[in-house]
Amino acid sequence: MVDHDGDEDRIRSERSFAEMCSEMFIKDFMTKDLVTISENDSIDQILETFDKYHFHTYPVVNEDNVLVGTIDQNIILKILLVHRAPRIEHTHLNAVVFQGDTAKTIMIPHPVSISPNETLCDTADMILKHKIDRFCIVEDGKLVGMICKPDIIKEVYKLRGSY
Amino acid sequence: MEVLLHILLILLLAKLFGEVFERAGFPSILGELLSGMVLGILLIHQESEILKFLAEMGAIFLLFTAGYKEVHLRDLKESSAKASVVTVVQIVVAFSFGAAIGVYFHLSALESIFIGVAFSPTSIGVVVRTLIDMDYLSSKPGSMILTSSIFDDIIGIFLLSIVVTMATYEQFPSGVQVLIILLKMVAFVAIMFSLRKWVFSRLFDQIHRMHVKESIFAFVIVIALFSAYLAEVFGLHAVIGAFIGGVMLSDVSHAKIEHVQSKVTGLAYGIFVPIFFAFIGISLNIASLQTIGLFSVLVVVLALLGKLIGGFLGSRLIGFDNYDSLIFGVGVMPRAGVELVLISIGKEMGIIGDEVFSAIVLMVAVSIFVSPVLLKKAIQFKNRTNSNNT
Repeated sequence: MVDHDGDEDRIRSERSFAEMCSEMFIKDFMTKDLVTISENDSIDQILETFDKYHFHTYPVVNEDNVLVGTIDQNIILKILLVHRAPRIEHTHLNAVVFQGDTAKTIMIPHPVSISPNETLCDTADMILKHKIDRFCIVEDGKLVGMICKPDIIKEVYKLRGSY
Repeated sequence: MEVLLHILLILLLAKLFGEVFERAGFPSILGELLSGMVLGILLIHQESEILKFLAEMGAIFLLFTAGYKEVHLRDLKESSAKASVVTVVQIVVAFSFGAAIGVYFHLSALESIFIGVAFSPTSIGVVVRTLIDMDYLSSKPGSMILTSSIFDDIIGIFLLSIVVTMATYEQFPSGVQVLIILLKMVAFVAIMFSLRKWVFSRLFDQIHRMHVKESIFAFVIVIALFSAYLAEVFGLHAVIGAFIGGVMLSDVSHAKIEHVQSKVTGLAYGIFVPIFFAFIGISLNIASLQTIGLFSVLVVVLALLGKLIGGFLGSRLIGFDNYDSLIFGVGVMPRAGVELVLISIGKEMGIIGDEVFSAIVLMVAVSIFVSPVLLKKAIQFKNRTNSNNT
C-alpha cells in the first residue's frame, strides 16, 4: 500500500520550506552591531580587541567603512607563535605578515562577501559547498553586517519547526 | 607501466628525503633533488616522456602557486618604488657575474646571457627562519630583503622570456626583433590585466553558484593552464604565463577561498612540484660536475658573490650603513625554485648544456646551505660591533 496522502503532505511541506527559505533574506537576521578593526590599527590594538571580545573573525574596514579584509584567530596565533612557525610557513607572504605592524599588513585581503539580499538557502548552500564559516555582508562596498554558521543553523531550525 | 612505479618511487622518496632535510633544518627541496639523483643512478636511466610532461606541469604549477598565493598586486605597487633601485643594482651585478663566466669559458652569447639570467632570482624562504630567529624580519634590511626578493623573481621571469624568445631566433636578435619580443610581452600582460579587470571576478561570481563538484577549483586550474597556453601562443614560455595568471587571480576573492587554495597547493606540492625537483635530480649529470671542477666552483662562488656585492652596493646607494648593506647582500644570496625552473627550461630548449645545468644545481644547493649561516654571522657581526661601540 502506498500512502499517497502522506506523499502529498511531504511534497507540499518540502515545497513550502524551499519557498520560505528562498524568501528569507540575510539582511533580516544578520548581525548589524559589529566589532570591527580599522585598517590602521596597530598589532597591540588588534590583540586588545581579540582579548576583549571572543569572536573568531573580525572585519577590517577603512575610514569610509569599506570592507578591506578580515583578521581571524589563525592569523593572531600565527603571529604570536612566529618563532615556532614550521618551514612550510616560511613564504614571502607569511614573512610580510610576520613583520606587519598594522591591520592592513596582516589581514586577509579580498574576503568573500555576500549581499544583504542573498537568501537564507543560497547562503547555507555556499557555507556547505565552500566550507566557509562566516560571511561579511557588503552593500555598495560598505560593510553592513556579518552572518556566521550558527546564525544560519538557528534560522533554518526555526523555519523547519514553523510548518 | 614502469612509469607508475617511477612516479610512485619519486613521490615516496621525495617526501621521505624532504622530511629528513626539514628535520635537519634545511628546505625539503634538497631532499627532493636528492631523491631524483638517487633514482637517476639506481633505477631511472632514461627520462620517459610522461615523466618529462609531469615535470613540466610541476614547473608551471610552481610558478602559478607563487603568483596565486604569494603575490599581492597591492603590495607590489606599494613597495615598487622603495625596492626598485636596490633590486636593479643587485640584479645587474649578479647578471654581469653570470654572463662574465660564460664569456670567460668561451660559451655562446646566448648561453652566457642565460647564466646571467639564472643568477638573478632570490629565494626568500631559505632565510626567513634566520631573520625570525635573529629578530631581524622587521628590521630595515629584513624588510628590504622581502620586498626585493619578489621583484628579483619577477624580473628574472621576464628576463627569461626574453632569452627564451632569443633562443627561438637561434641567433642574437636584432633591434627590431628585441622590440617585437617586448611588444609581445606587453600585449600578453595587457590581455591578462584586462581579463583580471573585466572577466575573472565576474566569472567566479557565477562559478561559485555552479552545482557541479569542485567548480571553483577546476576553474582556477583552467585559468592556470589557459595563462600558460596563451603565453606560448605569444611566443613566451608557459611558466611565465602561469606566474602572471596566478598573480591575476591573487585578488579574486572566490578564487582565493581557503578551501580552494589548499586544494591548489595540494595538487602542486603534493604531486607535480616534487616530480619537477626530482626530475632535475634525475637529469643531473654527476660526471659533468666532476670533470669541470673549476667551472662549477666559479659558478657557485660568483653567483653568491654577485648577489652579495650587488646587494651591498644597492643598499649603500639607498642610504643603508655598511652593516645593514652586508646583511641585505647576504640575505638575497639564496636561490631555489625559480632558479631551477629557469635552468630546466634552458636545458630543455638546448640553450645550456649539461655542465652549466649541473653547476647551477650545485650552486642552488650550496646557496641553501650557506646563506642562513652567513646571514646569522652578518647579523651577529653587526650586533657585536654595536655593543662594542656603546
